[in-house]
Amino acid sequence: MRGAFVIAGRDLRGLFVSPLFYILTGICAIVWSFQFYFLVNQFVSQSMMQMMQQGQNGEGLNLHFTVMFRHISTVNLMMIFAVAALTMRLFTEEKRQRTFDLLLTSPVTASHIVIGKLIAGTLTAWALIAVSLLYPISMAFFGKLEWGPLIASYIGLMLMAALYVSVGMFASSLTENNVLAVVMGLIFNVMIWFLGVMGEVAESATQRAISDHINISTHFMSFLKGQPSLAAIVFFLSVIGLFTFLTQRVVESARWR
Amino acid sequence: MADATIEVQALTKNYGPHRAIDDLNFTINKGEVVGFLGPNGAGKTTTMKIITGFMAPSSGSVKVAGFDVFEDPLEVKKRIGYLPETPPVYGDMSVESYLKFVAKLKGVANDRIHDLVEMSIKKTDLFSVRKRLIQNLSKGYRQRVGISQALVSDPEVLILDEPTVGLDPRQVAEVRSLIKELAGKHTIIISTHILPEVQASCQRIIIINRGKIVAQDSIDRLSNRMSSSGRVHLRVVNVLPSLLKTLSGAHGVVGIRQPQADLFEIDTDGTKETAAQLAAHVVSSGAGLFEMRQESFNLEDVFLKLTTSEEQQGVVV
Repeated sequence: MRGAFVIAGRDLRGLFVSPLFYILTGICAIVWSFQFYFLVNQFVSQSMMQMMQQGQNGEGLNLHFTVMFRHISTVNLMMIFAVAALTMRLFTEEKRQRTFDLLLTSPVTASHIVIGKLIAGTLTAWALIAVSLLYPISMAFFGKLEWGPLIASYIGLMLMAALYVSVGMFASSLTENNVLAVVMGLIFNVMIWFLGVMGEVAESATQRAISDHINISTHFMSFLKGQPSLAAIVFFLSVIGLFTFLTQRVVESARWR
Repeated sequence: MADATIEVQALTKNYGPHRAIDDLNFTINKGEVVGFLGPNGAGKTTTMKIITGFMAPSSGSVKVAGFDVFEDPLEVKKRIGYLPETPPVYGDMSVESYLKFVAKLKGVANDRIHDLVEMSIKKTDLFSVRKRLIQNLSKGYRQRVGISQALVSDPEVLILDEPTVGLDPRQVAEVRSLIKELAGKHTIIISTHILPEVQASCQRIIIINRGKIVAQDSIDRLSNRMSSSGRVHLRVVNVLPSLLKTLSGAHGVVGIRQPQADLFEIDTDGTKETAAQLAAHVVSSGAGLFEMRQESFNLEDVFLKLTTSEEQQGVVV
């Protein structure tokens, strides 16, 4: 396993040294800031309205569902793009610089290489998520946050990011071209989100039951509601495992081509 | 030393219908420096990639230090330092941190990393650039970082694919002397199509053409064997009409040509006695011996002879 950590360490360095991470963080921060300001404004004006109309003290609205829920959904949406861009270079760059030769002739297995890269990519994606945590934290100074659902949501977000990383890593392992890797990563991510939609057009009950179980949206929702189901956790870990395994096969197959 | 460090048996690799290497067999002993010689596309790089475990062969086996490359790939890879055609360097790292990374990756114990990194920086003379980012280095320096990277784990076996490409003449000389210095301690395979390189640093050469070994021997013996045709060039001062007849009648002469009036090309049985006799004939005839030399093949001739003929059957060693 030492090999995996050595590779993870190098890749983490590579990801943080390149300007890409900072550009992505900047873009995400701009979007989130506008969105969060809008959400808070909306929450305030709705609370005011409720107070005026019904003479209540404004405690009727739920901060988590009106603000945090939508903030986290936006973070998730941005992560689809940001993580695809972050992970595109995980393998394409190794192949382009021919450093893939070094990894494959070093005493590490294909699994070590892939796990190392998954760790590096996931930690970087989590750093980006940590930036999005600034908004709820700043909110905590002015209002009463429900920490339980917020923490659950962020755990869901972390799993989701790890899933995007495994998908992006797989896309990156398939090609030497950065652009192709991003586009493939995006398509795979969007495909996973659309898998659940199949249930809505399904005819038979079995079909519907299957698509309910692979509906990433319901699984993610269980985290957002603050009640993560075991099925959701298993689902996320399985998809991460699946794409990590697929990447491992692609890396291993380099020897046979 | 008889113990073989690298044993290659019946190694074959197909790329689709194209056969890149065909039934290679050779062994390399501990501490030997072997030149792997062949024209472009002969299968040198493919063979090296298979020995390093980078690539799997279609059939055949490779053993390094007693470990099979396909059954114990990790054990083999621990013992090999490999410089591919393009040095595998990360542009966004400094030379020093890159070498540390490679040392860790190769499984070097933590307490030895510092010493080995210093050693490899010293051997490849990278002091002046050790803190610089590799992407800002010239091609020659990158190549040296590549060599340094192969050395940093202090491996038993060094496999260098065209190590002097892109270096200036002084650096080429340095790399050659480095290879000589490393010989004995490490087993080294160098692939190249540059002949002087092999002559300068290798003890033994394996010539490969179209995926087949066409010759393997020490450099001296290979050149000797090829020159055994024994062609003698003879130049005289006075051209006497009778001389051609006298010489062609001498003992041991197989054939004779006279491309210029004062020059004879004589194919002999290759013995020294025949040459001495020819000289005696010229002197006694009064023609005046001006120049006499035995044509010797250099490595280049040997190489061309072995790699250009159609349907080469392979030279029995």
